[in-house]
Amino acid sequence: MSEKNTSLAFDALVVGGGIAGGEAALNLATNGFKVLVVEKDLSVGGKMIHLSKVFPTLDCSACITTPKVSEISRHPLITIFTETEVKGIVKNGENDFDAKVVRKPRYVIAEDCTGCQLCEEACPVNVPDQYQYGLVGRKAAYIPFSIASPRVAAIDIENCTLCGACERACPTKCIDFTQKPVEYSVKVRTVVVATGFNLFDPVNIPRYGFGEYKNVITSMQMERQLAPTRPFHTILRPGDGKMPDKIAYVLCTGSRDASVGNPICSQICCMYSIKQAQLLMGALPMADITIYYINIRSFGKGFEEFYEQAKGMGVNFVKGKIGKITENAKGNLILRYEDINENILKEAEHDMVVLSVGVLPNTESEKLFVDKSLQLDEYNFVKQPEQLVSPAKTSIKGVFVAGTASGPMDIPDSILSAGSASSEAISYLNNK
Amino acid sequence: MNKKLGIYICHCGGNISDYVDVEKVKKAIENEEGVAMAKTTMFACADSNQKEMVEDIKSNGLDGVIVASCSPKLHQITFRAVTERAGLNKYNYVHANIREQASWAHSDDKAGATEKAIHIVKAAIAKVRYAESLEPIKIKSKKAVAVFGAGVAGMKAAIELANMGSEVFLVEREFFVGGRTAQWDSVCTSNQSGGEIVSELYEKIKNHKNIILYTGAEAESYSGSIGDFHLKIRIKPSFVKSEFKKENIEKAISVCPVEVDDEFEFNLKKRKAIYQNKESEFPKRPVIDNINCTRCGECEKVCENIDFSQKEETVDLHVGSILMATGFDPYLPETGEFGFNAIDNVITLSQFQRLVSASNKELIYNGKKIKNIAYIYCVGSRQSEGENKFCSRYCCTTTIHSSIEAKKKFPGIFNFHFTRGIRTYGKQEALYHESSKMGDIYLQSYENDPPVVDIQNGKTIVKINDILTGTKEMMVEADLVVLVTGMTPRAENSIGSLFKLPKGRDKFFNEIHMKLRPVETVIDGITIAGTCQGPKNIAESVNSALSAATKSFSYVSKGELELEPIVAEVDKDTCTWCGICSEACPFDAIKKVDYNGKAVAVINNSNCKGCGMCLPVCPSDSIELIAFSNKEIESMIKLLAKD
Repeated sequence: MSEKNTSLAFDALVVGGGIAGGEAALNLATNGFKVLVVEKDLSVGGKMIHLSKVFPTLDCSACITTPKVSEISRHPLITIFTETEVKGIVKNGENDFDAKVVRKPRYVIAEDCTGCQLCEEACPVNVPDQYQYGLVGRKAAYIPFSIASPRVAAIDIENCTLCGACERACPTKCIDFTQKPVEYSVKVRTVVVATGFNLFDPVNIPRYGFGEYKNVITSMQMERQLAPTRPFHTILRPGDGKMPDKIAYVLCTGSRDASVGNPICSQICCMYSIKQAQLLMGALPMADITIYYINIRSFGKGFEEFYEQAKGMGVNFVKGKIGKITENAKGNLILRYEDINENILKEAEHDMVVLSVGVLPNTESEKLFVDKSLQLDEYNFVKQPEQLVSPAKTSIKGVFVAGTASGPMDIPDSILSAGSASSEAISYLNNK
Repeated sequence: MNKKLGIYICHCGGNISDYVDVEKVKKAIENEEGVAMAKTTMFACADSNQKEMVEDIKSNGLDGVIVASCSPKLHQITFRAVTERAGLNKYNYVHANIREQASWAHSDDKAGATEKAIHIVKAAIAKVRYAESLEPIKIKSKKAVAVFGAGVAGMKAAIELANMGSEVFLVEREFFVGGRTAQWDSVCTSNQSGGEIVSELYEKIKNHKNIILYTGAEAESYSGSIGDFHLKIRIKPSFVKSEFKKENIEKAISVCPVEVDDEFEFNLKKRKAIYQNKESEFPKRPVIDNINCTRCGECEKVCENIDFSQKEETVDLHVGSILMATGFDPYLPETGEFGFNAIDNVITLSQFQRLVSASNKELIYNGKKIKNIAYIYCVGSRQSEGENKFCSRYCCTTTIHSSIEAKKKFPGIFNFHFTRGIRTYGKQEALYHESSKMGDIYLQSYENDPPVVDIQNGKTIVKINDILTGTKEMMVEADLVVLVTGMTPRAENSIGSLFKLPKGRDKFFNEIHMKLRPVETVIDGITIAGTCQGPKNIAESVNSALSAATKSFSYVSKGELELEPIVAEVDKDTCTWCGICSEACPFDAIKKVDYNGKAVAVINNSNCKGCGMCLPVCPSDSIELIAFSNKEIESMIKLLAKD
């Protein structure tokens, strides 16, 4: 399949270019080590770059992520491969790993693309935009998103009709349908696993009606509606484009729920829902917002105060798990739940429902090593054999884990975990 | 004066452009004198725009750049770096804040916000015209770090710093290392004992050639700044010779007539004025507690290893960075708070953990066998009235862990949890599940209606209006009431005061930015790790300790540091040394020197933070702040006053 086999050598391989991988790479590079960051997506920045504002400080997420991303991209000791997957790492001995990585074709000569977006205008194909979580469409020839890094076009070959419109429109002639996957053999001395997490797909809880009722959306879709690079410039419910005025949040969707195979708490959903509720009160001053919860877990620095602030602003908190959601003729949703405080079954009508979806492991991390020697824990996160004293250590000496690859975590904890992983990696590299 | 200026007005993806008409701002300033180009941009900080800026500066030959965007706290460094990459001296960059100062502050008045933004940008133009190229101040940085606190965070940080190649001075106030972890017999969620963890770390510290450990040691004074801190450390004498015989010490302990509360056991037990380390503490040695010792001399009579002639020592340390890992204090309930100190079977979580650890076969407190235990959560945390608004993060999980341990160790125990909603976040949820499966009873109080601890017919009763059973009043007759006490900032914070470390609303040490600079403080060169920054469990403390170690190492690794050249400058010819500036300086940066036979003030550049406190107090107007010179500020004021 591969066009050529190219050999490369680095001190460290960082798998994953999200905020944890980026932070670990920067720390390593600042200390003089040569780093390769491998990112499977078209842009680095992970999930954080798509968020609106972040709790509990309400900093603009893009404003924090983009300069970090920029710093990583231009660091002389860091090489980034986007649209690239790790196809197997072998440990030969201490400080000696062989990694096979495959860079998929983007069908665009990245160095020549100016990001002018003329190909986008020309492309006749319209498909759901994965970076706006399906809220709007995008073209088959497209810039992933406005603050992507690199901000370079890509061709979605699955959906491309090969009509050639983009080729004709491109002023720098950088579209190249002849590109093939390139396989690289990379020698590295340490590996940092920063493969992140997956979001729970609420289709797996049919009684909530996600995918069936248009006005039931996920929290990530709401996040996009609130982000600076939002699709609609206001908050709309997808069913009819109406601005909602009675919004419900369903916490623990896919978390603390053994029936969907995820018994643990996702650690972030309470807080991001409280944050979204506060942002919604700014965006839709007249709207009522209700958060249905089992327990509110505002445990981090400044979190409890942030929760109290939301209560003070008028966000309605109802202790009760949602049993079932149905839709009425107006497209509104009827939530059936047990109001625990009053100990009675109730029904409430809302015109939009946000499912606060949980954090699932990215099981791809198990496949990174050819012999599956990177062990996972009982929840399929990367196992931490010395979880207290050396949380970054994994089952393989010389391989370290950063961020949510080892379990649910918020952004500050991911960054500290990345600092921990890079610190252990530096020690490992120094003690060759 | 005749600079060629480039100006970028940032939308900040709506953060600015939702309230400030950025196109109008651009139009208003693009014809100002010297403005060669003006642009609006979606995200000025995005990589693509940074690249464009570099191109613009080079191709237009710009020699002054302004970005009107967010607070300089966030991105001044980012854009200075951009200017530098384009070959321009970075001090020809001026940052204009039209987000915090215009769009966010005046979101109710779009026209006014736009007008204000125009003024802010114009003032920046006035300033950049006078901006001068500056070179950073280069100072030597000592490749050594002082770590304060030898709990799990401080020890991990010390080991990692030493591994990276720095000299490390680990300074512990107590006579023994181990911190709070040493007091925990079983830690969640790894089922190790605290002692195992401490002993493993202590072995590494003891054997590491780069680490010097001082116990019974405290910082007395400090001077200097990043790269060049001078610390004076005071080391308490132990009054026991370093060579000692175990049996002699045991005799000395048995004859010592002074009995005091044992802090390690949270006052559940007594110790003598001469005492030894606990099994989980290191180094293994006896010490005499100077505060309580009466010098009766009994111990000397039976033990030849006592030496009352030992004196307090001081050592001088020279380090490039300081890492603070000074930990927390468990909350101490007030007398009467849920019956604490008023009802005899009410204890704290810390005491309970020691009690479980010290008991064998049966759990006995105050001579009574314990069967029913009531745990009251959030004592000293999430207070609506008191100061501690924050959640202490570790207590739900720790209590559940301890209650499971107790139940396993002492069959027949019943656990009743009086909660405010359990917060076993992440994988810790599994413990909550395990505990529920073991038959523990969980109750939850209403926010404004906490449980009540009371005596009825000589029995201790805990009452609650329980949410989970539908507002039923529930009562439990408890043999032991455990108050789940949270973490609080250290009560004795002289070291924080010494370094003038800022605290947050929660009174823990404060980081600069939770996400961008989570282990740095506003005092350059001082980092923070572990629970002195806020409640954390062991793994979280270790992560923050290693992050802080990496950051501290970056200050000292190269042996040289570049500092901001924005410092005060004294005109020696007009200065007549009155000393007022020196008194006004909060950083001890101004000294008297001799200049051509007269006394004048001189600024120590590595201490000066450019705060400007010395400027207005100078009676002869002899001090200027570089990059904020009188002519720069006056030109800004003139412009603002003109419109």
